[in-house]
Amino acid sequence: MTKRKPLLFFDPEHVDRPVPGRPWRAIVLGALVATAFLTAGWEFFWRGKGLIPGDYRDTNAIWAEARRKAKDGATVIIGSSRSLFDIDLDVWEELSGVRPVQLAQVGTSPRIFLKDLAEDESFKGLVIVDVTAFLFFTGDGGPREEVVKYYREQTLAQRADYFLSIPLEETLAFMDEQSRPKRQVAIWPFPLREGMKPRFDPRKLETLDRDRNARMWARVVEDPLYLDEAKYHWRLVIEQSAPPPGAPSGPMPPEAVGAVIAEVKANIDKIRARGGEVAFIRLPYDGMFSVAEDNGFPRAQFWDRLLRETASVGVAFQDHPELQGYEIPEWSHLAPDETPRYTRALVPIFYAQLKGRNLPTFGAAPR
Amino acid sequence: MLFNSLTFVVFFAIVVALHNAALPWRVKKINLLIASLIFYGAWSPPFVLLLLFSTIVDWFAARWMAGAKTEASRRMFLMLSLAGNLGMLSYFKYGGFLLENFTAAVSAMGIAYKAPEWNIILPVGISFYTFQTLAYTLDVYLRRAAPTKSFLDFALFVTFFPQLVAGPIVRPSQLVPQFAEPKVATRDQFYWGLVLMTVGLFEKVVLADSFLAPAADAAFGAGKALHPLDAWTGVLAFSGQIFFDFSGYSTTAVGAALCLGFALPNNFLYPYAAIGFSDFWRRWHISLSTWLRDYLYIPLGGNQKGRTRTYANLMITMLLGGLWHGASWTFVVWGGLHGLYLAAERALREAIPTQEWFKSLWFKAAMALLTYFLVNITWVFFRAQNFADASTMLASMFALAPKPEKVLYYNEIVPALIVVAGMVFAHWRMRATTIEAVAAATPKWLIAALLAFMLFMLVATQGSDSAFIYFQF
Repeated sequence: MTKRKPLLFFDPEHVDRPVPGRPWRAIVLGALVATAFLTAGWEFFWRGKGLIPGDYRDTNAIWAEARRKAKDGATVIIGSSRSLFDIDLDVWEELSGVRPVQLAQVGTSPRIFLKDLAEDESFKGLVIVDVTAFLFFTGDGGPREEVVKYYREQTLAQRADYFLSIPLEETLAFMDEQSRPKRQVAIWPFPLREGMKPRFDPRKLETLDRDRNARMWARVVEDPLYLDEAKYHWRLVIEQSAPPPGAPSGPMPPEAVGAVIAEVKANIDKIRARGGEVAFIRLPYDGMFSVAEDNGFPRAQFWDRLLRETASVGVAFQDHPELQGYEIPEWSHLAPDETPRYTRALVPIFYAQLKGRNLPTFGAAPR
Repeated sequence: MLFNSLTFVVFFAIVVALHNAALPWRVKKINLLIASLIFYGAWSPPFVLLLLFSTIVDWFAARWMAGAKTEASRRMFLMLSLAGNLGMLSYFKYGGFLLENFTAAVSAMGIAYKAPEWNIILPVGISFYTFQTLAYTLDVYLRRAAPTKSFLDFALFVTFFPQLVAGPIVRPSQLVPQFAEPKVATRDQFYWGLVLMTVGLFEKVVLADSFLAPAADAAFGAGKALHPLDAWTGVLAFSGQIFFDFSGYSTTAVGAALCLGFALPNNFLYPYAAIGFSDFWRRWHISLSTWLRDYLYIPLGGNQKGRTRTYANLMITMLLGGLWHGASWTFVVWGGLHGLYLAAERALREAIPTQEWFKSLWFKAAMALLTYFLVNITWVFFRAQNFADASTMLASMFALAPKPEKVLYYNEIVPALIVVAGMVFAHWRMRATTIEAVAAATPKWLIAALLAFMLFMLVATQGSDSAFIYFQF
């Protein structure tokens, strides 16, 4: 090697990583044992709070895994939390022979998912769109809108992470968003700062299977305090989003509704051009939601107009006695025991509507 | 892949196992090289080609430079390396920025020009590895070092996974010689490496992501005038978030390398206890600040060409240092402010003779707090999306913004301020010492308890989905 000048600032000798003289093996092993005990205690604590192993976190990765199944002639459900919690995929499959791909996301407008499917040339199936009026019409995104971008850009490392997380999710109850320290700090009952409104931030409401077959979390119906808290947050969002006194009725002028429907129709046309189909459903609600939705989004100006201008079929629970009278503990979602029964009632009505339009069959008639 | 991911846990376990297997040293190095490419390719396999391109260009440029007979040809081979690396950096990182500014400039001249859409994805860590590999060709050009004889050692130097995507930016002389002879961690090095990795991940996942990011994100994302408490909480929280995020990465990198028997330099030395800005830059992102000093400031003439040139060199170095962080004028202003601070400090040192009371504790503490305060002003430009947001935030901090609103709840304010206060206190206490010295003097049961607490918090936090902030640079 040629003789080189000494470096001005760096030399290998300067990279020195001394190891402090401590009994590191004993320290690390001791810490690992203590961590194991702490983790066991944490697991025990959260099981006591009603968390269960096998209740998957609704991560971007689990949505992306479901989204990859939405190809060719698949039947896909898009919407917000009502279609996520209220439809039992097992029952749907039992009755129709088709297991729908569940792509609904809490608090998120299905319009972004409809656009995503319309842009996907490989998709030629049936889309079932849950219309929760205030989410469907007033926004084209929501708290989980990033899932579409995530799905399109998901890296190999992210897919590997998801794969490795599966055994942990199936074994450990505390693998849940609700138990994270960050989440616990976020919902800690600090006093409210003067002049600030309480934050709309609903707690955990659902349990989720690997294929996103979901239902209301049992604690919501079993713990009255927890149920009251769920209702408190719905009341908050309804009151905070209500138009101010004296404002024109309804949250949207007719032209704005027309623009939304035109956008939806354009996406539906793309899917239909490939041989697919789109149909709408409205799932039951109660209490404060009845007042807010029925008054804020009158049927004739929103639901009926949507079906008419998109030339689509739809099933509204208000039109069918079989779809009414179910237990809706927190006014917006069915109790977990009710979803199989509700789905059993919904499926034949839904497919009957499709048949009436003489469209391609995306599932057998009820068995 | 991210350090804070399950994939990395499995990946690292396999790498450590292979590195400790009874294999020839050359095979172990090939394993490390393949592992590093997998680590990088897990984000986007095609970008591995860029990494290899940079490696190959600089390998040959340095060899040809060393064998060149004339200064002109040496310079030509340096230009090849600079064009390869800076060209790649310019295209992927600054292409959109340049186009945007060009469009604005021609529009200002009254020429109608519609720029094409620029949808180029930024390869992760490109600024880090291009600077690292450039250091090699520059060292050879400046005759500070001879080219390495082993392509494998050089390729491993460029791609070594612990510090590949977010530093420390290692010099060839620091790392290449370590690949020359077989290296495996001793038992104590391995355990200490694991401790450092735990500390680093705790900084990132628990402190930065869980307790500081919510306040910083809510304040900077509000897009409106804020109550002073909200504005200050947001800025202070970001000062902690950026430190724990970046320092957490560096500490994890140092720990991961040590588990394999390699030594990487420190990148941070408790910067929020800095007294003045030259001290700050000896403590913050040390590997970048020294890189800029050695390969930009000093080649420009440093402080050897008169007073005016010294200040100009300082400003040029810091402005380009700001631009290194991101293709935006807000980063340039961030760098410019640091340049002004350094220039002002230099001017004050020249103007005011040293006083005995400068050494008093209260004076040092006051100067450290003043430095931290001024650093926080610069963070506003670093974090804000644009100048309008930055000016609104600054006005909010000093109660000058009209119609300020409260956007932070105590749920964000309390944890953020507790962590920031703890961070500043810890930096002050650690100012003149090291984590190694503190560990050596701490009872073993206390170290074990702290380690268990950090590990448990990592488990309870369930890792984190968010990438390190500095990946985008």
